Amino acid sequence: MTVVAADAAVSQVDAAAAAASTRPRCSTEDMLQLLQDYDCWVFDLDGTIWRGNEVIEGVLEALELLRKLGKKVLFMTNNSMKSRGSYLDKCLQDDIYCSSYSAAAYLDSIGFDRSKKAYVVGERGIMQELAAVGIESFGGPDDNEKRASFSSEMLHDTQVGAVVCGVDPNLSYYKVQYASMCLLLNPGCLFIATNTDARGHFTPNLEWAGAGATVGAIKGVVERDPIVTGKPSPFLMQDIAAKHNVQPAKSIMVGDRLDTDILWGLNTGMATLLVMTGVTDEQLLVAQRGSSNGVKPHFVMDSFGDLRRVAQQALQQQK
Amino acid sequence: MVSCQAVANGTTQPRRADTDDKRKLIDSVDCFIFDCDGVIWRGDSVIDGVPETLDMLRAMGKRLVFVTNNSTKSRAGYLGKFTGLGLNVNAEEIYSSSYAAAAYLESIDFKKKVYVIGESGILEELDLKGIQHLGGPEDAEKVVALKKGEYMEHDEDVGAVVVGFDRHINYYKIQYATLCIRENPGCLFIATNMDAVTHLTDAQEWAGNGSMVGAIAGSTKREPITVGKPAEFMLDNIAKTFGLKRQQICMVGDRLDTDILFGKNGGLTTCLVLSGVTDEETLLSPENSVHPDYYMSQLSELLAVKEAAKVAA
Repeated sequence: MTVVAADAAVSQVDAAAAAASTRPRCSTEDMLQLLQDYDCWVFDLDGTIWRGNEVIEGVLEALELLRKLGKKVLFMTNNSMKSRGSYLDKCLQDDIYCSSYSAAAYLDSIGFDRSKKAYVVGERGIMQELAAVGIESFGGPDDNEKRASFSSEMLHDTQVGAVVCGVDPNLSYYKVQYASMCLLLNPGCLFIATNTDARGHFTPNLEWAGAGATVGAIKGVVERDPIVTGKPSPFLMQDIAAKHNVQPAKSIMVGDRLDTDILWGLNTGMATLLVMTGVTDEQLLVAQRGSSNGVKPHFVMDSFGDLRRVAQQALQQQK
Repeated sequence: MVSCQAVANGTTQPRRADTDDKRKLIDSVDCFIFDCDGVIWRGDSVIDGVPETLDMLRAMGKRLVFVTNNSTKSRAGYLGKFTGLGLNVNAEEIYSSSYAAAAYLESIDFKKKVYVIGESGILEELDLKGIQHLGGPEDAEKVVALKKGEYMEHDEDVGAVVVGFDRHINYYKIQYATLCIRENPGCLFIATNMDAVTHLTDAQEWAGNGSMVGAIAGSTKREPITVGKPAEFMLDNIAKTFGLKRQQICMVGDRLDTDILFGKNGGLTTCLVLSGVTDEETLLSPENSVHPDYYMSQLSELLAVKEAAKVAA
């Protein structure tokens, strides 16, 4: 998968980044500058906007500020459990890109043979997104109760042309075996991962094993890497840029993970803002900033909610 | 038997053993380590001529050790399989990866608790070493519902997670192991083996422990310490237990990537048998770079030495 070339006009990013990267956290001036420089704001969800079902303090006001300033607000999550449609009931008015959608969009973009099927190891959201692009799928939660029987031969559908994986709280030997058989025995069968995140804040107070576990289990049998369609793969950027007329140089990615959110922003030529409300702790941030090939965010804030502190000044400046 | 010499491009091909080779092989080593599946038995049937071959080697004063990467049974559990197939073996001669995990923990003077992903074999071996454990088959039916308020506690005294083949792998186990490894300072991540596939039945290949380990590696971003083939530990432990030097040992197996590589990395003489998963074509293919010192169709070919001795007498 090729990385989208960074826009030549990144001098804005470099200048601001050079200043901010010397500071552990964004100052008030940095925040006001961000609001000036970036028209399109893309947000991760888990650990950035909410944790499980609890919105992080101050975030709604901060989002409201962006809207008042006329900014485009998009959301991009690696959470593969739901489809895009179901996020609307969390009252997010703007466009959501989720990793389940990214897998379906990817298969659509390569002209996946619609006479074939997809076997899903993951939640219903993936199946819904696949259906939306006309790809037949099976497995997913419908296979939760299935168990491998070693006393008879296990069969598999030879028409499976892709195995699509996401986090699966009902992962089982049966599912791993079925997926592995498709990948090893069906010629050309694609191995697609919505993401490979090791863990996620699927509930507010605990990190839970993520899609990385599902992918790791299958990879341990088939001994090959999947095509990753969610962050940090730049794949969805083409989709977003086209639909929203987004210029990476005037865009900023806000997220809590260095190896997905921030890396996605870097891969697609955007500015990047790391928030400390999710999985990244100070130790990891310092280590990455100190390493020659570490993932370095341009800006860091304790919480995206902190942006609301400059609301009055920002709105004044706009006038 | 044709012995293969250097081919046109100058590299040495593996050597199909003739009677002289077999005699030389037997004379040059004091100990034979056998992989089990594909060498001693296939599924639940002993490979013909094996009992007599083992008896011959014992009569010649050779030490015999049987290794298997299968962790589902303990050594005592495997003994039942051996005797049921008419093979004369002692439990101490069997090195299952379940035993290897317990032996490893003993070798580092481990005093904490172990969370086990795997079947009863690992638990039994830990019991024999007096090591406390949780998990294993009792977590087989546990379910996680990722809904509001869901939380998982974990035992802070777990100092190691041991991952072995588990037909009842589930998200609860993966998550529990992940919490121990991530939250308990210094918690070890140990894999009995990394085999991608296993031959539980003759009909097809089945996902092996590579998948259980892969799940945990995927959620923790850590690589495990492996105690089974082809990692060094099992070999070190065998050599130490029986007071042997590497040059005194021959590894006999049917897999290039585990058995033969295991033997070569360990400085052993190596012999591939074609009675298991590797065929001659794969062995001799230019894509294969793992070359055993000798190869033969099956273990019982060693009996030719006895026959030759009879004829000479």
